[in-house]
Amino acid sequence: MFRIIKKADIVLFLILVIIGAALFFVSATGNEKGKKAVVSVDGKLYGTYSLEKDQTIVIRHTKNINKFIIKDGYVQMVHANCSNKVCLKEGKISKTKQSIVCLPNKVVIEIRGGDSYDAVSQ
Amino acid sequence: MMPFRNKKTVGSHLCGASQKSEKAHREHRNLSSHQNLNRAKKENRSIRTKRLTVSAMFATLALIFTYVEVLLPINLGIPGIKLGLANLVIILALYNMNFKYAMTINLIRIFLSGFLFSGVFAMLYSASGGILSLVVMWLLKKSDRFSMVGVSMAAAVTHNFGQLLVAASVVSNLRLFIYYPVLVFSGIIAGIGIGVIAYIINDKLPGHLFN
Repeated sequence: MFRIIKKADIVLFLILVIIGAALFFVSATGNEKGKKAVVSVDGKLYGTYSLEKDQTIVIRHTKNINKFIIKDGYVQMVHANCSNKVCLKEGKISKTKQSIVCLPNKVVIEIRGGDSYDAVSQ
Repeated sequence: MMPFRNKKTVGSHLCGASQKSEKAHREHRNLSSHQNLNRAKKENRSIRTKRLTVSAMFATLALIFTYVEVLLPINLGIPGIKLGLANLVIILALYNMNFKYAMTINLIRIFLSGFLFSGVFAMLYSASGGILSLVVMWLLKKSDRFSMVGVSMAAAVTHNFGQLLVAASVVSNLRLFIYYPVLVFSGIIAGIGIGVIAYIINDKLPGHLFN
C-alpha cells in the first residue's frame, strides 16, 4: 500500500492545485455587477438586453427554443427544449464573466458591464 | 499451470532450444526452432484470445459505468462534474494490456453510450475528452514516474479540458472556460478516488486474466 502514491504524484497534484487556484483567481477578479445580457446563438450575436428592466425573452433559432427571464438584475434560463436541461440548473447569474450555456441549442447568455466594449457589440 | 505461462517462459523455451541446437544437426535445429516458434505462436494466440474476451467484458463494464453515471448525475450547478467511473476500466486495461486495447475499449464505450444514452452530439465531447485523457495516461504511464493515482488524476483534469475545448468550439465562445477552475478541482478529487480504487482492484486482479 505504500507505493500507491509516488513522489511525482505529489508534484503533479501540487502543480494541478496551483493551476486550478490560479485559474480560479483569474476568473474571480473583476467580477462586478453586470449591466447587460448578451445572447449569442451558434457563435453569432442574437441580441443585447438591459438588466435594469425586468423582462422575459424567448430565443428562437431553427427548431430550438430557449426562454430566459431578467428580474432584479438577475438572468435565469427558465425553458429549453433541449435534451439535458443543464442550462436550467445553472440558476441565476448577475455578474460579469458569468454565463449560461445551452450546448445542444448552441445558446450562450453572457453578462457584460457597461463599458465601451458593449458599444461595439451593439 | 497453464494460466501462469507467460511471455517469459516462452522466451526461455526458445533460448534453451537454440543452445541445444548449436550442438546438434542443422536440420534438427531447424526443426526444433520451428516447433518452438509454433508453440510461441500458439501462446501468443492464446494471449490474444484472452485479451479479446477480457476487452469485450471491459467494454461492457465501461458502458455500464457510463450508464450508472447517466442515471445518477452529480448536480452542482456546473456541467461536467462527474466521477468518471468508466475510467476505472480504461486505466486497468491500459496497465494490464496496452494502449491499443485501452483505446479500443474506450472508443467502443464512447460510441455505444453516445448512441444509447447521450446522443451523437454529446458523443463528440465524450470522444475528445476520452481520447485526450487516454493519450495523457499512456504518456504518464510510459514515463514510469507516476502511480495509478497520479495517472488517473491527470486523466480526469485533461478529460474535462478536452470536453470544454469541443464545447467551446461548438458555441464558438471561449467564455466556457470559466467553468474550468472548478472542474480542475473536481477532476483532481475524482481522479484520486478512481486512482486509489483502480490500484486496489489491480492488486486483486489475477494476472492470468490477461496473459
